[in-house]
Amino acid sequence: MEVCGSSNVSLREFGCEQSLLSRPDGSASFIQGDTSVLAGVYGPAEVKVSKEIYDRATLEVLIQPKVGLPSVRERSQEQCVRETCEASLLLSLHPRSSLTLILQVLHDDGSLLSCALNAACMALMDAGLPMSCLFCGVTCAIDTDGQIITDPTAAQEKESRALMTFAIDSTERRVLMSSTKGSFTVHELQQCIAVSQKASEKIFQFYRDSVRRRYSKTLE
Amino acid sequence: MPTDTKRVRGPEVSQSPSLFLPDGRQRDQVDVRPVFVRCGLVSQAKGSAYIEAGNTKLMCCVYGPKETERKDETDMKCGRLTTDMRFAPFSCPERGSWIQGSQDKDFSLMLQESLQPAVCLHKYPRSQIEVNVMVLENSGSVLAHAVTCASLALADAGIEMYDLVLGCSIRQDGASYVVDPTYTEQNSCSSVSSENQGGLTVAFLPSLNQISGLQSDGEMTEETLTAGVRTCIEGCYKLYPVVQQALTKAVRRAALPPPES
Amino acid sequence: MIGSVCVTQSPVSPSFLLHFRTAEPLEYHRSFLKENCRPDGRELSEFRTTTLNIGSISTADGSALVKVGNTTVICGIKAELANPTVEAPGKGYIVPNVDLPPLCSSRFRPGPPGEQAQAASQFIADVIESSEVIQTEDLCIERGKLCWVLYCDMMCLDYDGNVLDACVVALLAALKNTQLPEVTVNTETCTPGVTLEKRHGLRINKHPVATSFCIFDDSILIVDPTAEEESLATAQLTVVTDEEDRLYSLHKPGGTSLSGQKLQECISRATARQREIQKLINKVIHSVKTAQ
Repeated sequence: MEVCGSSNVSLREFGCEQSLLSRPDGSASFIQGDTSVLAGVYGPAEVKVSKEIYDRATLEVLIQPKVGLPSVRERSQEQCVRETCEASLLLSLHPRSSLTLILQVLHDDGSLLSCALNAACMALMDAGLPMSCLFCGVTCAIDTDGQIITDPTAAQEKESRALMTFAIDSTERRVLMSSTKGSFTVHELQQCIAVSQKASEKIFQFYRDSVRRRYSKTLE
Repeated sequence: MPTDTKRVRGPEVSQSPSLFLPDGRQRDQVDVRPVFVRCGLVSQAKGSAYIEAGNTKLMCCVYGPKETERKDETDMKCGRLTTDMRFAPFSCPERGSWIQGSQDKDFSLMLQESLQPAVCLHKYPRSQIEVNVMVLENSGSVLAHAVTCASLALADAGIEMYDLVLGCSIRQDGASYVVDPTYTEQNSCSSVSSENQGGLTVAFLPSLNQISGLQSDGEMTEETLTAGVRTCIEGCYKLYPVVQQALTKAVRRAALPPPES
Repeated sequence: MIGSVCVTQSPVSPSFLLHFRTAEPLEYHRSFLKENCRPDGRELSEFRTTTLNIGSISTADGSALVKVGNTTVICGIKAELANPTVEAPGKGYIVPNVDLPPLCSSRFRPGPPGEQAQAASQFIADVIESSEVIQTEDLCIERGKLCWVLYCDMMCLDYDGNVLDACVVALLAALKNTQLPEVTVNTETCTPGVTLEKRHGLRINKHPVATSFCIFDDSILIVDPTAEEESLATAQLTVVTDEEDRLYSLHKPGGTSLSGQKLQECISRATARQREIQKLINKVIHSVKTAQ
């Protein structure tokens, strides 16, 4: 457990590896505690005529669960990831082309959607696609005592009263995406957003560190 | 008329309540259920219609003409008419699944075959016209009403046609028959004999006096079948004024806003 | 020269507006939003007229038809009997599904539900689970043996934007309209016996209502978007709240970001909307009761 005392936001240990796959144009794996997601990006490539958009690139997101076929839940998560990516990517620079982002869940131990978002962002960076900002995902759970737990495990998620996942952008720390479950008050919502914004600082710092580490290696 | 003075008299006319039972309908008469028809309810569609006959409720939307999706079609001189008929899961007494069954596909095909002769498809080369029918409540004679509803929607969309297409069904049950049968009447069998058991649906072009579609199942003798077709045509003529009225109303409403300069 | 004279003298012709709308839809909308109004004459925080009709489908155990402006959604509820799961022997099932058939708009293709329909189904399922509008324990008939399955099928008949709000209203009204037949389980033979004449309603615990917004040009917030507004907006947002002002969902699938102050505006508008809808549902149910 990595605990940072000053901001009072605890996140599980996270790790990331970029460019680990050879076939996709960009790839990354992101690990938060025991939760792990592998992401691959293909594109910009040729687009099917039926999906062609005349003034921007068409982005497709596919989430593959660890076992079984994708269900309605995955479709809803795909929509969340896709629209978040669309907001940060400069898609108008690649009109009439296709981008495909594939997210393979390797293990789910809570905070899956936020891990998927982080993996997606790292993979997009690795693919070298132009973006207006970076984004990261943070999951908060409110337990039965009203305590806010950031980056909960699957067991903590199960016991929680409410679960919220936000995507935060790197420029203004504002909420790009929000997906919630369970019941909560307006005050609790605002607290969770504030906590997530604080947590996002750490994740963005981690993004920066891992990219710096990687490029310092390649430059040598 | 002689009056019976030695008995207590009631009102001059009275009727048995069984006549007014939900499904207590006249047999062996061309007695179609009361229909309610309206055009142009769906804002997104080129043309749309809603029909309610007894408890059977269905609606139809028409999209197009637009570019054909299937470019490999050999005949490019004629337009294509595509039909899709679906039942809402809550439309039948037993819950249906969302996955389209063979029944839906059969109905879609029969609908297409009944409508196609009436549409001037040669006026729409290289394009397709989509007809979508949704059954909201199935209380019998669905195919017949779907045909009527679809032809109304096509007319509402301004698609050129030779004539409207009207549909009517009968259920032959031994020697007797019911016109425009309900769901229970369609599936029940009251007579003992197994002869002349079946259902018949006719699609009819009223002003050309031609039949564009005929579908029959069960076992019927030739005479019963021809008599049945004649009954169906009679039933269609009963629908005709209602349908015409709905169409003129829709046209009038469309003509109301001042013409654009 | 002649052209300029025409433009200055005659007022803008309707056909010009129509062409302007087709050619430059975004500019067209912006010109209205600049004046704090919308092409259909609404203010930014104004809903379209909402009408409700309940119990219109006799083959369903409960049904409701909702119109929000042109958008029409029908919800039919079918109750069936099933065995409860081993993990939750004292609970029934609620199975919500949203369908966007090709009938409702030319943007939808025939075949299995697309991403939008699936995401909407998941959203409705989450709202039901989060708000506990119906306790699944209430659907249990005999613990571990028999329970109710409520199939809640919502179907869009006319797609003119904001289908989520209409679906939630249709679902809530249809649930309130649902009458389940009485079922007893014979203790000796373990077979269920159904009395169709004796029916009872469901216990509705909460009244969740959804309110959707669109963000235009990263800053302007509008409520109850039409299909055209949805396609031009940079982000969409749905807030679900109940009569006690608890939030059940803040669903924003992405798009441009939103400031805290704007979010607060959305929540207050959603609270007001919840009151309006609850009043509407109660009024309609009351009028149906008195008519009987």
